[in-house]
Amino acid sequence: MPTVIVTQSSGHIVQVRLVAGDTTETTVAEALAATSGEASPTAETAVKAAPNPIAPETKEIAWAAGSFIVLLVVLRYFLFPKLKKGMDERYASVRSDSEGADRVRAEANADVAEYEKALAAVRAEAAGRVDAARQTVDNERNTQLAQVNGRIAAARADADQKNAAAREAAQSDVASAVATVASRVAEIALGKAPEASVVSAAVASAMEGSRS
Amino acid sequence: MIALEFPEINSILRWKDLFPTFNKIALIAVLAAVISIAIFMLALRQDHREAPKGIRNLAEVIVEFIEDGVVMQTMGKEGLPWTPFLMTMFLFIYLCNVPGIIPFFQMPATARMAVPLFLALMVWVIYNVVGIKHQGVLGYFKSTLFPPGVPKALYILVTPIEFISAIIVRPFSLAVRLFANMMAGHILLVTFALLSEALFQAKDKILIPVGILPFFMLIFLTSFEVLVAFLQAYIFAMLTAVYIGGAAHPEH
Repeated sequence: MPTVIVTQSSGHIVQVRLVAGDTTETTVAEALAATSGEASPTAETAVKAAPNPIAPETKEIAWAAGSFIVLLVVLRYFLFPKLKKGMDERYASVRSDSEGADRVRAEANADVAEYEKALAAVRAEAAGRVDAARQTVDNERNTQLAQVNGRIAAARADADQKNAAAREAAQSDVASAVATVASRVAEIALGKAPEASVVSAAVASAMEGSRS
Repeated sequence: MIALEFPEINSILRWKDLFPTFNKIALIAVLAAVISIAIFMLALRQDHREAPKGIRNLAEVIVEFIEDGVVMQTMGKEGLPWTPFLMTMFLFIYLCNVPGIIPFFQMPATARMAVPLFLALMVWVIYNVVGIKHQGVLGYFKSTLFPPGVPKALYILVTPIEFISAIIVRPFSLAVRLFANMMAGHILLVTFALLSEALFQAKDKILIPVGILPFFMLIFLTSFEVLVAFLQAYIFAMLTAVYIGGAAHPEH
């Protein structure tokens, strides 16, 4: 048996050596001797007799080849084509569904665009109608306003005219009364009645002065 | 000084027959084939029209991994008919690698030269046949041994190198790469497992805590072997695709 020799110093492993040994009894001393070129005849014989550890064995090649070829044939001709066919069918189905979904989405987008177009047209028409109605209302209001303003102006002119006539009449009455009073006052003061035309002129002049 | 017995190298690589000619390596190879077939048979039992799940998802992931990760990367669309072969190659190698870290098996079948050697020789035969089929005997050897764009004087050097590289070394390197990686991993695991056991059972109590170091290394290497098992299968399949693709279309 090969032996691993572990050399320790103060509890630490300082060296590990694998030495060839025979298959029977090999002491550490013999193994150490073998590594230093003084292998015993027994060890040499054992090493020569051992099979090469990396040499391939025919039976292993045969089993590996058989297993591989069986696996290859079964996968290549039976299992892989079925699996691949299933995968391809599902991919085609998914692709078809995806394309169908894209088509439906495009149709929906077209419908939405059409709806929005119709909505915009309706909104434009509604806005036109609202503008026309607003225009009509404005025109009606302006007409009504003009008529009312005309009536107000006529009423105001009539009232002004009446006011002026009333003021004129009042002033005439006041002047007549003042002239009468003034004539009586002058008659009392002077002892004779002044001329009516002079009094009327004086009163008119006084009223004219107070007005200004 | 303590000594621990390391088992003879043949005892960790060669296995006794379970029954005549059938040893652990043969068992792993057969199981690799059976498990692969079982995965695909179980996958096919599910309705292919529904979204894949479980074992069918696994099978489809394997197919797509080989198609997208190996074939399309190296051979393009023209290489898609090689998908079943490369998938078989990948699955078989991977399932032969993985038992190296599975308790009770604890031996990758590819750590024996028989499996990689058979696969490499098969790949060698296939890519040479494909090359001859696509380019003819003269055309294939001309494109292989006399690469275009090289000055004619250099063919004295290049042609022997290409002959050795493409005809002799390729199958050898393909086999040895897989075999050596898996065998090295196996021996490392054995070494650290033995060292851990020896230190944990040491009579000198001070050595027992030291055993945690090789034990952690053992855990780390076991995790690493998970990656190596996949990586070596992927590399083997990838190189196979490169060789076949190169033989079929040397201009690529």
